[in-house]
Amino acid sequence: MKWGFLPKDTGKPVYLAVNSDESEPATFKDRYILVRDPHMLIEGIIICSYAIGSHDTYIYIRGEYTTQVKVLQAAIDEAYDAGYLGDKVAGHDFKLNVTVHRGAGAYVCGEETALLESIEGKKGQPRSKPPFPAVAGLYDSPTIINNVQSIASLPFIIENGADAYRKYGTEKSPGTHLFGISGHVEKPGMYELPLGLPLLEVIDKVAGGVWKGRKLKGIIPGGSSTPVLTPEEAKTVTLDYESMAEHKTMFGSGGIVVLDETVDMVKLVQNLIYFYHHESCGQCTPCREGLGWMLKIINKIVAGKGRLSDVELLRELCDNIEMKTVCVLSAACTMPVRSYLDKFRHEFEACVAGENGSKQETEQEER
Amino acid sequence: MAETIKLFVNGCEVEVEAGKNLIDAIGAVGIEIPHLCYHPALGADGNCRMCLVGIEDGRPPLVPACKTQAVEGMKVLLDAEHIKKIQKDVLELELINHPTDCPICDQAGECSLQDYYMTYGREESRMNVDQVKKAKKLDFGCGVVHDQERCVVCGRCVRFCRQITKTGELGIVNRTDSARVTIFPGRPLDNRYALNVVDLCPVGAMTSADFRFKQRVWFLKKNRSICHGCSRGCNITVDHNREKDSDDMIYRFRPLLNEQVNGYFMCDEGRLSYHGENENRLSEARLSKTPLSFDDAVTAALREIEKHDDILFLLSPNSTLEQMMAIRSFAEKIDATLSGFSDGYIKKGDGDDYLIQDDKSANRAGLELLGIDSSKEAFETALKKADLLLNFNNDLLLAYSETELKKLLKDTRVIGLSSHETACFQQANLLLPVASFTEYGGSIINCDSILQFFAKAVSKNSEPVEICELISLLGGPFHDRTQLWEELKKNCELLSNVDPDNIPPAGLKLTDSEADNVPA
Ligand code: SF4
Ligand code: SF4
Ligand code: SF4
Ligand code: FES
Repeated sequence: MKWGFLPKDTGKPVYLAVNSDESEPATFKDRYILVRDPHMLIEGIIICSYAIGSHDTYIYIRGEYTTQVKVLQAAIDEAYDAGYLGDKVAGHDFKLNVTVHRGAGAYVCGEETALLESIEGKKGQPRSKPPFPAVAGLYDSPTIINNVQSIASLPFIIENGADAYRKYGTEKSPGTHLFGISGHVEKPGMYELPLGLPLLEVIDKVAGGVWKGRKLKGIIPGGSSTPVLTPEEAKTVTLDYESMAEHKTMFGSGGIVVLDETVDMVKLVQNLIYFYHHESCGQCTPCREGLGWMLKIINKIVAGKGRLSDVELLRELCDNIEMKTVCVLSAACTMPVRSYLDKFRHEFEACVAGENGSKQETEQEER
Repeated sequence: MAETIKLFVNGCEVEVEAGKNLIDAIGAVGIEIPHLCYHPALGADGNCRMCLVGIEDGRPPLVPACKTQAVEGMKVLLDAEHIKKIQKDVLELELINHPTDCPICDQAGECSLQDYYMTYGREESRMNVDQVKKAKKLDFGCGVVHDQERCVVCGRCVRFCRQITKTGELGIVNRTDSARVTIFPGRPLDNRYALNVVDLCPVGAMTSADFRFKQRVWFLKKNRSICHGCSRGCNITVDHNREKDSDDMIYRFRPLLNEQVNGYFMCDEGRLSYHGENENRLSEARLSKTPLSFDDAVTAALREIEKHDDILFLLSPNSTLEQMMAIRSFAEKIDATLSGFSDGYIKKGDGDDYLIQDDKSANRAGLELLGIDSSKEAFETALKKADLLLNFNNDLLLAYSETELKKLLKDTRVIGLSSHETACFQQANLLLPVASFTEYGGSIINCDSILQFFAKAVSKNSEPVEICELISLLGGPFHDRTQLWEELKKNCELLSNVDPDNIPPAGLKLTDSEADNVPA
């Protein structure tokens, strides 16, 4: 939890911002919580606000979540009516207001500081840190930003104790997590599972295995921005933070995407770059210019006009852009792209070579 | 220098001023960190990523220098291979969608991007896909012309309009590589400082309609001076050039940093006032509207002065302290009345709370310091009595209408000493051309009692004579600077301790208390 970073006695209000901008491709856990159990989130907000001494919460919710907004707002209204929100929370001398703020459809607003800018009514683009939000966040005041799942897990922990929570999961990754399993499986869906289960077992036993009896080609472990795993790597992966890091990928959002043998990795990468380029806020140079360049290169490769040097350039650009930027949006693109380029290099090579390998010869002419 | 700290750059110890970011702190001791979006007047934004440096033993190891405070003992890495590679890489990305047609770009020669390419890049382009196309030659208003393709989206211009003028006309619309600077539809730049964005823009994306394509900047000679547009006295660079077979011409004024006077900026009116130095200049002496040689004109003037008993001298509030002293001592010598009447130079309500002042003259404080009466009553009474008026470049038409002035002067002969062909001097019986402020040097005192010295900036082919010199030709007792300053010190308590040859470049705040009177 980031609560410990809050400075004491600044004389400024403390804000809680709940990040529900859930826009990462293949991620859909918040929408379930928001619709199925909005009161659990509200309860979590009350607990958190009390703990950090905050009287104002903003729930930043993805604009496209129209149903979720309605359900959530209705739940908040109920909570106000029942006296759990407002001037005297549950009869105690504690004031708490909760405001729902709808985003306008920019992925980058899921980045903490872009989210704050957006709530403030500005163009949603990340702030260059430091200062960090805990020190100077919303309206330049100390702000805690947590996601829906973290906040919604608070009531359970408070009611049953941390030990009850720790009963699930591993030592370093305690508790349960919502896994959204999608892609080429027989039974896609949202599953709450304890952390630490073997990945392949979950795919086979929980999600019914790769569909149509096809072979597995790769697994995106935690949303589109996490590096892909090959079937070989997947064998030893368990669903927790440590194991993911050991396999040089990330736990991410828990949005698992299963890719079967029919997937064209070159086109997948094109799709990825298209998305992240489109969502780049355009603020900082490497991301603004770099992702556009990468998109044009992959388009050229997909169109059959690429050369080996283009694949190499694409790979190099991943390194040149990554971690040079204000926020991690560009890394959310370059990390997975690099993984496909490295792990499925042959597909890119085949693509620039053309099916019969005749492409190489036309290279000279083009120049 | 204020408090200092020691830190290490590339392993070498350097001593820098405390409390600054790395770009400024290290920059002050001559070590450049490339940067595009940071500007000391606008603060750090952190978007260009050109300034990334390594911090050894630091977390995180890579930081934007513009957003990083220099602290004691910090180990900054600039010349390491991985840092050099980042500079190269970011520069490459900055350039992929850039026209890079420097030879036809107005900014060439004073472009950060061009300089950085020469210093940190020098790579062949690897861009073999189509560039992003954006709009060119957009009229943003106030004489600012924008080229979106050259823009590096550093946001300096946008921040200027938000933070400094607080008018907010500019914004960046769109995301990703279609992000571009623009104005709101039908709402062009509309503030009196707009042309500063041209200086602020590190590349050729903001150009001035007034200056663009008139000169290549490397032909321009640059001299310091002080704007005479109002009593703020903004420090300026006079950019001028003498093209083959023609006279030395001024092509632009640009603001010059002076923290205690104008900061980094100046107003548009002052900036464009350079036109007045080139145009509409009085180039010949005239007797009853007939041209005559300058020497003959001086002789004629001497005769007039000889002939008349009741003479009135009228000074301009734009005169330097030296000129004022020369004129005053001349008046004393021949027993002429002296007036500094110049109400016309004050435009009530025109000033703002930033730089622009109501008083459109450069040295009214000097008139006061020398005890020269500026009241209208005194001037008009003296004029009624006088049979000869010597007008030292004071444009009376700023205070009177033409008919009023004609009536006032009907019984008085007028000798005009003028730098310009102004209507005020059309009727003068004798007219002598004198130098304008870029053609001489001197000392003036601004609205905040800051004494500033400026030197001669341009030399015309046929140099108009400077007023102090002309006064010596007419029989004034003092004309050289040393003498005049001795007189000034004798006559003005506040100047008694000033060393005229060592007025600091940032000016000297004149106060009644001795203790405050130390150079900042
Ligand atoms: S990395 Fe991309 S999204 Fe993040 S601040 Fe920079 S331009 Fe914006
Ligand atoms: S803006 Fe600079 S780099 Fe770009 S074309 Fe002009 S001079 Fe060259
Ligand atoms: S126009 Fe110039 S100052 Fe403005 S954002 Fe572009 S490059 Fe920066
Ligand atoms: S100067 Fe530091 S990021 Fe632009």
